Amino acid sequence: MPLLHDPFNVIIAGVGGQGNILASDLVSRTFCEDGYFVSVGETYGATQRGGSVMSHVRLSRRHLYGPLIPEGEAHIIIGFEPLEVLRMLQDYGHALVRVVMNDRPLYPLEALQKKVKYPSPEHLISRIETLAAELKIVKATDLAKKAGNPQAQNVVMVGAFAGLNWVPLEKERFLTTLGETFSGERLELNKMAFDLGFGVASGKRGHPLR
Amino acid sequence: MATLYWNLDEPEKRYMLSGNEAAARGALEGGVRLVTSYPGSPSVQVLECLAAVAPQRGLYAEWSINEKVALEVAAAGSFAGLRALSVMKADGLNVAMDFLTTLPLSGIGAGLVIIVSDDPGAHSSVKEEDSRYLAPPAHIPLMEPATPEETKDMVAWAFVFSEQVGLPVMVRLVTRICHARATLTLGAIHPPEGVPRLPQEMRFVTAGSRHENTHQSLDKALEGFEGSPFNLYTGPAEPELTVFTSGVSYLYAQEAVERLGVGERVGIFKVGTIWPLPEKVVLDNLKRSEKVLFLEEIEPFLEDQVKILAAQHWNDLGRLRFLGKRSGDVPWVMKARGMGELDPDIATQALAKALTMDFQKGQEGLREKAEKLPKIELPLRLPILCAGCPHRASYWAIKTALALDGRDGFVLGDIGCYTLGALPSGYQTLSTVHCMGSGAGLASGFGKLGEAGFQQPTVAVIGDSTFYHAGIPPLINARVTGSQYLLIVLDNDTTAMTGHQPHPGTGILATGEAAFPVPMVELIKSLDIPVTIQDPYEVNETTETILHLLRKGGLQVLILRQACALKAMREQPRPPVYVDQDRCLGDACGCSRLCTRVFSCPANIWDEKAGKARIDEVLCTGCGVCASLCPEEAIVIQREGEEHAITP
Amino acid sequence: MYERVVAKGLCAACGACVSLCPYLRSFQGRIVPLNPCDIFEGRCFAYCPRTEVDLKHIHKEVFQREYELTEMGLFRRVLMGRARDRTFRKRAQTGGVVSSLMDFALKAGMISAAILTRRGQDHLPQGVVARTQKEVLACAGSGYVAGPTLQAFNEGDWTPEDQIGVVGLPCQVLALGRMRASDLEKRTPVDQVGLVMGLFCTWALDYEPFLAFLRERLDVFQIEKLDITPPPERILKVNTGTETLEIPLDEIRPFIRPSCQVCADMTAEFSDLSVGTVEGESEWNTVVVRTERGEELLSLAQKAGVIETKPLPEENLAHLLEASLLKKRRALEALRERGELEKGYLKDASRWIRNKLFSDPQG
Repeated sequence: MPLLHDPFNVIIAGVGGQGNILASDLVSRTFCEDGYFVSVGETYGATQRGGSVMSHVRLSRRHLYGPLIPEGEAHIIIGFEPLEVLRMLQDYGHALVRVVMNDRPLYPLEALQKKVKYPSPEHLISRIETLAAELKIVKATDLAKKAGNPQAQNVVMVGAFAGLNWVPLEKERFLTTLGETFSGERLELNKMAFDLGFGVASGKRGHPLR
Repeated sequence: MATLYWNLDEPEKRYMLSGNEAAARGALEGGVRLVTSYPGSPSVQVLECLAAVAPQRGLYAEWSINEKVALEVAAAGSFAGLRALSVMKADGLNVAMDFLTTLPLSGIGAGLVIIVSDDPGAHSSVKEEDSRYLAPPAHIPLMEPATPEETKDMVAWAFVFSEQVGLPVMVRLVTRICHARATLTLGAIHPPEGVPRLPQEMRFVTAGSRHENTHQSLDKALEGFEGSPFNLYTGPAEPELTVFTSGVSYLYAQEAVERLGVGERVGIFKVGTIWPLPEKVVLDNLKRSEKVLFLEEIEPFLEDQVKILAAQHWNDLGRLRFLGKRSGDVPWVMKARGMGELDPDIATQALAKALTMDFQKGQEGLREKAEKLPKIELPLRLPILCAGCPHRASYWAIKTALALDGRDGFVLGDIGCYTLGALPSGYQTLSTVHCMGSGAGLASGFGKLGEAGFQQPTVAVIGDSTFYHAGIPPLINARVTGSQYLLIVLDNDTTAMTGHQPHPGTGILATGEAAFPVPMVELIKSLDIPVTIQDPYEVNETTETILHLLRKGGLQVLILRQACALKAMREQPRPPVYVDQDRCLGDACGCSRLCTRVFSCPANIWDEKAGKARIDEVLCTGCGVCASLCPEEAIVIQREGEEHAITP
Repeated sequence: MYERVVAKGLCAACGACVSLCPYLRSFQGRIVPLNPCDIFEGRCFAYCPRTEVDLKHIHKEVFQREYELTEMGLFRRVLMGRARDRTFRKRAQTGGVVSSLMDFALKAGMISAAILTRRGQDHLPQGVVARTQKEVLACAGSGYVAGPTLQAFNEGDWTPEDQIGVVGLPCQVLALGRMRASDLEKRTPVDQVGLVMGLFCTWALDYEPFLAFLRERLDVFQIEKLDITPPPERILKVNTGTETLEIPLDEIRPFIRPSCQVCADMTAEFSDLSVGTVEGESEWNTVVVRTERGEELLSLAQKAGVIETKPLPEENLAHLLEASLLKKRRALEALRERGELEKGYLKDASRWIRNKLFSDPQG
C-alpha cells in the first residue's frame, strides 16, 4: 500500500526514561515485517537521564533513508509528554502533521527549582491543537495503571497509534511483534496496555479524547 | 525471551537491526572467536549481543577492565590464530592507543578488528572526537560504513582483509549508525575456526626496524581498497558537482539530492575505505566535476585526505573547488553538546548553497505558523540524576560538608553518571571533569600543593567501574608521594551510565557467570590508606563523616556504597515515599521549597492546587533521602504493612 | 544574606539567623549559608544586627520612648556591684554579677530558663539553656570569642509557659531587639523574653583563627581562664592549670572579627541591665540599669542579699562614657572606609549620629 508521503516520518517524543526506544522498536519492526524500508534514529545515553528524547521512524516503499527526519517533515508525532510534543512540533511538524499524545506533564528540574516556569498544560495543549492538523489525547498513564504498570504508558501509546490507523496496518501485525518482544506475564501486561490504547483511539476518530 | 534477530541462522532473511547489532552480526558472519570491550556509548551493545550468545556460538566475550587491556586480550587471540574483535568508543581508543600503535610493527596473527564508535554532537560523551585521525599514526587501515547493513558487511570482511594485509583493521561507527536501526538482509554465520597456538617461530616484537614492513603492509591495504565495493559512485557521468561523503552522511547526501531534485546535476561518491585513501578511484572521481562538496562527521578528515591526494596530483587534475567544513561551506551546527554532527537539513543547505539554489529548512513545516503565534517559553531539560540516585545524596552531603568546613574545598570528578555533578542536578559540585580517572589523578597533584602554601581541602569523586578502569594508579601515586586528599568512591555496584554492565568489583562476567569479586576495601587497605564506608542515603550521617574526614586530613578513602536506583527498582521495588500534606507547610514553611527547588529530585514535585509539596509516585524509588531533609518531617517513608493515603 | 553580610565579613556570629530555615547553619563559630534561598528579605535579614537597622524603631519597641543619641544609650543609673556568694565570684570573670543575677532570677521565678553562653572543652562558645544554678555557673566567665548564642534561643525546646532570660553581647542584644520589632510572623520565642542582660564588649575574636593561634602555644583543652588586662598593660593572660601565658594584645588583634569594627554599641544599649568590668577593681562589676524590669531585678536581688552594690566613682563613669563614644566614632569611620556610611547597616541613623558626634565640641 503506498504511503501518503514517501518517506513517511513519525517522531516519538518524550522524556528520557519513558520508554520511547521500546515504542519505536515495536512500531518499526511491525512495519519492517510488512515490507517497508524502515530507518530509525534514536538518542541513548546521557540525554536519556531525564533529558528530551526523540525517536525518528522513517518508512519508505522505495529505499532506505537516513535515520534523521528533516525539520518540517514529521507527518505524525506520537508524544509521551506535552512539553516535548510542542517542542518537536514547532521544529519538526509538517504542515499537515497529526498528533497522538499522553497529556501527563513531567516537570524539568529547572521548573522544580523555580528557575523557569513550566507552561500550563492547558496552554500547551491548546497550542498543539492550533498547530496540528489533528490531535488525539490519550490518558496513557492511567490506562497503563489499569493494565498493571504506569510505566507501560509507552505501549498504550503504540496501541493508540495502531488504533488510529493513520498508517494502515493490521492490528495482528502489532500483536505479533509484541509476542516476539515479550513473554509470560510481561506479554500479558503489555498486550492489555496495547489493547487499551487501541480501543480508546479506534473508538472516536478526529475528536480529542478527554 | 525477546528474539535476537541478529543471531538467527536465517541468511537472506530481512530484519531490522541497529548498527551495533549489525556489527555483532557482522562479527558472527566473519567467524569471530574472541570479543573484548569496555562499555562506551554508543557501541556498548556490540559486546552485550555477542556475550548473550557466546556459549551457543562458541565465542569468548569479555568486559575488560579498560580498553587497553581489552585490546591486549583480543590481540592474544589474534596471535594465537583466532579471529578477534575489540570494541570501544573514541575516548577508549585513546586509552588503547599505546598498544594499538605497536601492533602494526609487531605484526598480528588471525584477523583483528577494532570497532571504534564516535559520538558526533556528544550526545553521550563529554566531548566529540573524530577517531579517524588516529588511524594514520597507528598505521591502521580504516573503514567507515554508511548503514547498519554496510556495517555488517564491513565488519565481516574486515577479518579477512586484516589477515590479507597483516594489520589490525579499524571500522569506525558513529551514534547515528550504532543507535539507528534499519532494515537489512542477513548473511550466513560462519562458526569460528582454528585451534589456538602461538607458533614458536613467530615473534611479535615491536621494533623501529619493522616500520618499513608496516608501510609495505599499508601499500597492500591501499591496493586492496582500490577495488572495494564500499566505494561507490552514483549519478551522472559528468555532474556539475560531486559530493564526496562517508558514513551516515551518505544517506543525508542522497536525501539532499532528492529533496532539491538535482539528481541530474549532482553525483555522490561514497568512500567506505577511508585510510589509506584508495588513490586511483578517488582521483577518477575527482575528475568528474569542478565542484566537490564534502559531507562527513565530525571533522573534515576525508576532506583533508582528499586535498592531500589532490595536491600530489595537481597537474593531472582540472580546476577544482573544494567545499566543506574547512572552507566554511558546510556549517558547523551546535547539536546537543557538540557541533560536528550532520543531518539531512545541514546537508541540503550545503548542497543548495553550492548550487546557488534557495533552500530554507523546515519550509514544509509548521515553523512559520508557529512563529506567528505568541511565544511560549519551552524549558529545556538538562540531563539529570534519576529519582533516588545515590549520587544525589552523595553530592548533597559533600557540598554541605565543604560549606561547613569553610576552607574553599573543591571536588574533582570524571566520567560516569556522576559527571552530572557538574550540572545543576548534581548541585554543580564538580570543579573539574576530564577523562576516566582524571579526578583522582588531579587530586594526587593538588594534594601535594600544600608544600607550596595551598590551603584548600581537595576531594575527588570516582565511580566504582571507573576506579578499576583508571583510578588505582593515581591512588597508589598519591600514597607513595605523600599526597593528601579525600577520595570518595561512589560505589553503586555497576557501570551505570552505559546500561549496568558488570565490572571487576561486581563478581559477574559479561556472560552472566560468577567471577571473583575484587575486594575494593581490602585492596585499598593494603596500601595502608584508611577506608571508611557509608551509605549515602543516610545523608546527614554522611555529611558528618565527610566533615570529619576533611578536618582529619591526610590521604583518605570514603566509599559511599548504595545500589543504583534504576537497577535496584528493577530487582526489588521499594514502596514510594509520600508527602503528608497536613504537615507540609507549603510556601509558608520558610524553607522556600527545599525538597523541590533545592534538593530537586525529579520525584519531588509541587502540587499547584494544594500549594504543597508532592511526590510523583511514578518516578519515586523510595530512597527516603528527601524525608530526612524536610524541616517539618512532612515526607513519610511507608513502613511494611502500613496503610497510607496518597493525596491524588 | 550571603552577599550582604557574610561575604562582606560583617557577620557577628550572633546566631539570630540560625535554625529559622534549613539553609543557615553554624559551625565552629562561623555562620554557613548552605543553599541559595530565593526569599529576598526573610527573617534572617530582619533579625540580623548587621543588615539595615532602624535604631529608632527598636528603641521605641524596647523602651517605649523616642530614640535619643547618647554615649551609651538610655539608662536610669550606673553603679558598681558584685555577687555576695563567693562561689559566683570565684567562677566569674570579675564580680560575678551576671551569673548571680541570672541565678536569682531563676530561683525567684522571674524567668524559667536562661540563654547563656558556655565554652566547650575546645573553647568553642555555644548557646545553652540553663535552668539550674549548676548550669548557670558552668557558663560563667568571658571567653572573648564570638559564638552563635541565639541559635540556642531559636532551637530551644520551649513551652508556652516559659519566661526566658537572655545574656548577650551587644550584637546579640540588638538582634533580639530586631526580632521584637519585626513585622514578620515570629519564628522565635522573643515574645516570651522576660529579661535581657547585656555584656560590655569592645570586640570579640573569630574562633577558628584564634584557636589555631593558641593551639600552637598550648594545649587548648587545659584553658581555665582568659583575661585581658586593662591599659597600659594590654596583655591577654591565658591560665591553664599549670601555667599562665602572657600574649601581647597586638598579636591577638588580627583575630578580631571584622564585624566588630563597625559595631557602634559598647554597652548593649537595648538590654534591661548591662554589665561590664570596673577599671582597677578586679572584684567588682559596672552595672547599668536601663529599664523598670532591670531595676526590679536589681533591687529584689539586693534585698535578698544576693548582690551588694556601691556607687561608681565619677571618673569611672566619665571614662565609660568616653570609651563608648569612641567606639561609635570608630564604627562610623570603619563604615566610611568601607564606603558604607550611606548604605551600611546604620545608614538610617548614621547621618544624624555623625552630625551629633562630629559637630558636638564635647565629643
